[in-house]
Amino acid sequence: MGLVMGTFSMQSKQVNYHKDKADDDLEMTMVCHRPEGLDQLEALTNFNKRELQVLYRGFKNECPSGVVNEETFKQIYSQFFPHGDASTYAHYLFNAFDTAQSGSIKFEDFVTALSTLLRGSITEKLQWTFNLYDINRDGYINKEEMTDIVRAIYDMMGKYTYPVLKNDAPKQHVDAFFQKMDKNRDGVVTLDEFILSCQEDENIMRSLQLFENVI
Amino acid sequence: MAAGVAAWLPFARAAAIGWMPVASTPMPIPPQEKRKAQDGLIILNVSGTKFQTWRNTLERYPDTLLGSTERDFFFHEETNEYFFDRDPDIFRHILNFYRTGKLHYPRQECISAYDEELAFFGIIPEIIGDCCYEEYKDRRRENAERLQDDEDTDMNNDVTPVNLTFREYLWRAFENPHSSTLALVFYYVTGFFIAISVMANVVETVPCGFLPNRSKEVSCGERYALAFFCLDTACVMIFTVEYLLRLIAAPSRYKFMKSVMSVIDVVAIMPYYIGLVMTDNDQLSGAFVTLRVFRVFRIFKFSRHSAGLRILGYTLKSCASELGFLLFSLTMAIIIFATVMFYAEKGSPASKFTSIPAAFWYTIVTMTTLGYGDMVPKTIVGKVFGSICSLSGVLVIALPVPVIVSNFSRIYHQSQRAEKRRAQRKTRLARIRAAKIRGTNAYMRYKQNGLLIDTLEEASKEAGQALVAKPPSPPFESQHHHLLHCLEKTTNHEFVDEQTFQANCMEISAMHKSGSRSSSLSSSPHGLSSCCSRRHRKKSSFSLPSTNNQELSTIQIRERPVVNSRSSLNAKLDETVPLKCNEPFITPSMVSLSAPVVTSSDGDGSTTATTTAYSQSNIVRVSAL
Repeated sequence: MGLVMGTFSMQSKQVNYHKDKADDDLEMTMVCHRPEGLDQLEALTNFNKRELQVLYRGFKNECPSGVVNEETFKQIYSQFFPHGDASTYAHYLFNAFDTAQSGSIKFEDFVTALSTLLRGSITEKLQWTFNLYDINRDGYINKEEMTDIVRAIYDMMGKYTYPVLKNDAPKQHVDAFFQKMDKNRDGVVTLDEFILSCQEDENIMRSLQLFENVI
Repeated sequence: MAAGVAAWLPFARAAAIGWMPVASTPMPIPPQEKRKAQDGLIILNVSGTKFQTWRNTLERYPDTLLGSTERDFFFHEETNEYFFDRDPDIFRHILNFYRTGKLHYPRQECISAYDEELAFFGIIPEIIGDCCYEEYKDRRRENAERLQDDEDTDMNNDVTPVNLTFREYLWRAFENPHSSTLALVFYYVTGFFIAISVMANVVETVPCGFLPNRSKEVSCGERYALAFFCLDTACVMIFTVEYLLRLIAAPSRYKFMKSVMSVIDVVAIMPYYIGLVMTDNDQLSGAFVTLRVFRVFRIFKFSRHSAGLRILGYTLKSCASELGFLLFSLTMAIIIFATVMFYAEKGSPASKFTSIPAAFWYTIVTMTTLGYGDMVPKTIVGKVFGSICSLSGVLVIALPVPVIVSNFSRIYHQSQRAEKRRAQRKTRLARIRAAKIRGTNAYMRYKQNGLLIDTLEEASKEAGQALVAKPPSPPFESQHHHLLHCLEKTTNHEFVDEQTFQANCMEISAMHKSGSRSSSLSSSPHGLSSCCSRRHRKKSSFSLPSTNNQELSTIQIRERPVVNSRSSLNAKLDETVPLKCNEPFITPSMVSLSAPVVTSSDGDGSTTATTTAYSQSNIVRVSAL
């Protein structure tokens, strides 16, 4: 008898789950976004037509509906980092890409961000990075935000690292960062401080040029 | 996995710029793009259906045929495309795998055809997506079972080796009653005696009227004790003999003794022997009576005779977990309800529910909806819980039953299909064999039409003759015939068809003294597997000794007088032939002299005479091939 009750309750839970999933799917399929024409995009970004074609084909392959939501974004990004958990960093990335804070990334957002990152000037790149770090978009990077970001990056490494990842490694990393970036020691890093400090650092300058020819 | 989202790699690399300001150490140098690979279109022509895709799409999976340099072997220069002579319908799915990263299995395709295509294109089936994987595995398992089934029946039916020892013959007779008349007779006799024995056990207990000096009615078993005893003895003797014969004949005695059927056999005959030993002792007769119960196990011996019974047993075995679950849930429910009923009925006077175990009986009877009525609740609470008990009983029992039923149905249908396949198999094989014979006969006809050209002079002579005389044969056929001819030349034997061969066999056995040979005999390495087996079967009628193929032949001196030139040639060759005898394998094959029609094979047509060995023959036996 108890078994019977048990099976019945299990049934009802299943039904709820199915209902939610169905609603979700319904929403997704109704949204179908087409990007602006190739010419406009070419004008907006620093890519030429062929590169935009390649990018769009890849984009559309993964997201047939034309927009990426956060789940898909996280899934795609995680496939490149199978060792660890890339979801937190993907979340921050998603927010950085989704400039309009609409909850989904359209192809234009995607391509504009890529254009900045790959073909933009140093200042633009640094600005984008500052935007990424500034989680609450208040114009300042404080220690908590930085710690979150750094911890997210370390999460992508996973458990099996050499040397073994210690718990306070992110904190130490953040302290070093603030040491370097926070010029007036007010506990927050502003955009100008950030850009200035980065321009002073040779390594950072060199590494920003690293992905010029990715497409 | 990352290959599926290869198109997003540029994005992932771009996003890495976000790490740069926090990097602790300098970044490594990016890999050099050796060539700016133009992302071009590749045309894949699969049996006429053109597929096109980007080069990069294919190169996502470099360890498959299409993604590696292996595809260059299929490049067709003239049309600048890659041509594959394969099934375009299945190729569609393979190409989709490159595009989407997911491999699907189409339900309407044959599983072995699909597997072949996957193997050809170097894709492992394990990456079939979750949506299709279950279906794929099911089909594969079904197919494997079917093949295994066919193999088993093959081994049972088609192989009719001549040289069976008595033991193997006996075992085959037991396992397959249709193999010979004796086996069939034995099968029916044992069946009959099992039935007799079981019926005797039953009738023994029927009341049979009154004996003069007793007041009580007496059972038939006591009245006709001697008759029943004789009957029982006869049955047990038959069963014992059968068991011992099976034990002797079994290929693996230990395995046989462990098998279920042999245990049943032993249990069926043991009580009799134990009874024989123990009849005198009165105290033990109680135990003896209990033992007689085991005689009813003889009825299980019927499962050798009935396939349906075996299926039932197999079903129960395969549904063991469902049955176990049923039992477990029933036990739980019984205990719960018995407890509840006991405490509910505790207050009522003269209640039959004296203890919880006593309430078990009530619960079982109620849950299975039997409702004998010997125990009923009297209090209202008891009645309420009693009704809940009966309702829930129906549900608990109804749950696992469909599973068992569907299992039985599936296994039963499978065995039905297997039976049908076995029946159709004979006709199918016969037709296949006929087709094969037609193929081999083509070569015979080719030869007889004088189309064989052995030497260069012949070739020019033939070329001189009008080509109209010869029907134009397709290049494949002519090359194939040339190949067979080369084989003949290599082994110094010739092909003949079956009838000629049989005719010559009989001829040889009939007139092994005479030296004339009218027709040519030849070995037929071509259809060796089938021909040999048939020859083996026919040989048994010639009362051959059971020679193993592995034996070396004995060489006996030929006493046949040399009659004509051909035989003399034969004789000459025979002397040199003994050198060949050391070859480890013989196929008793007959060898041709040159075919009478062909004029060309004067010198080279004669071949060594290899003849089958006969116990009394004095023909030289030589190993061939």
